[in-house]
Amino acid sequence: MSENETALLERCRAGDRDAFGFVVKKYAGRASGAACLLLGCPHEALDASQEAFVRAWRNIKRFNTSSPFYPWYSAILRNVCRSRLRRRARRRTVALTDGHGDSSSDSDPVLLAERNERRDALWRGVMKLSDPFREIILMKHFHEMSYKGIAAALGIPIGTVMSRLHSARRALRETLAGESS
Amino acid sequence: MSCNEFNRMAGAYLDGELPEEERRRFEEHLASCDACRTELAELKRLTEDLNMMRFKEPGDEELQRYWAGVYNRLERGIGWILLSAGAILTLCYGAFKIVEEMIRDPAISVILKVGVCALIAGLVVLFVSLLRERLVVRKVDRYSREVER
Repeated sequence: MSENETALLERCRAGDRDAFGFVVKKYAGRASGAACLLLGCPHEALDASQEAFVRAWRNIKRFNTSSPFYPWYSAILRNVCRSRLRRRARRRTVALTDGHGDSSSDSDPVLLAERNERRDALWRGVMKLSDPFREIILMKHFHEMSYKGIAAALGIPIGTVMSRLHSARRALRETLAGESS
Repeated sequence: MSCNEFNRMAGAYLDGELPEEERRRFEEHLASCDACRTELAELKRLTEDLNMMRFKEPGDEELQRYWAGVYNRLERGIGWILLSAGAILTLCYGAFKIVEEMIRDPAISVILKVGVCALIAGLVVLFVSLLRERLVVRKVDRYSREVER
């Protein structure tokens, strides 16, 4: 973590909202993308990632500024998204396809950098995965977390991380194969 | 090592997460099985593609709007707390006054008075129970610890 960010986070802890603004802007893209991947809907993702930043601000005193901000924030974001998914499942107000948003519009890969046909197809494939599979793909490939880190964050054994990732990638390959045929 | 076992470990191998001993067994099998080599190559391509994916960085204007959204929520949070506290206090005071008047009024039957008191007592018990449940759930919720990191 850069010295600058540590100083910014110290200022956040002291109640400096402008400093928090810099932190929010630094991670906004990654946060919205991650929420979109978890929720399957860009509009709700924006709202969820903002809500997570508000929660992060309210709990900033409990944050250890010597550790990086994003992993801590991302745990909060996952909680927010999980709550929304649970609420969504209870209410059943959103038209769901395989447990997530409408793939025709909501999974449009607008939040992806350096797009090409293959990456767009891959994004659509990821969006068709189940919630736990999307979550583990996000943690491994977008957040570049180790198996140990994923296991700790999800509260599951490393063996389960390995088998879940294996199943997620297999499901993704099947989806992509189905799409191209 | 069987091909099934190989397939199960292939992802961990590519991620560099296999322990030394398993990696050695994995590579031995890899050297002797054409089908598994093909399988690994396909999985490697997928993994590399996934590793190359990045989220788009928003432009300055988008970032400004985003931060404004967060900032407004931060401000509104205090407003909501004050509003809720004020509403609860006002409602409680109003309810207390109404019940007090009703109990003092000899024209209202005792049965109705008992009924209203039971209704209020029930509401209070339910509210306390619900509050306690929420607090206990929050305490044992395994995800709540994540904000403490």
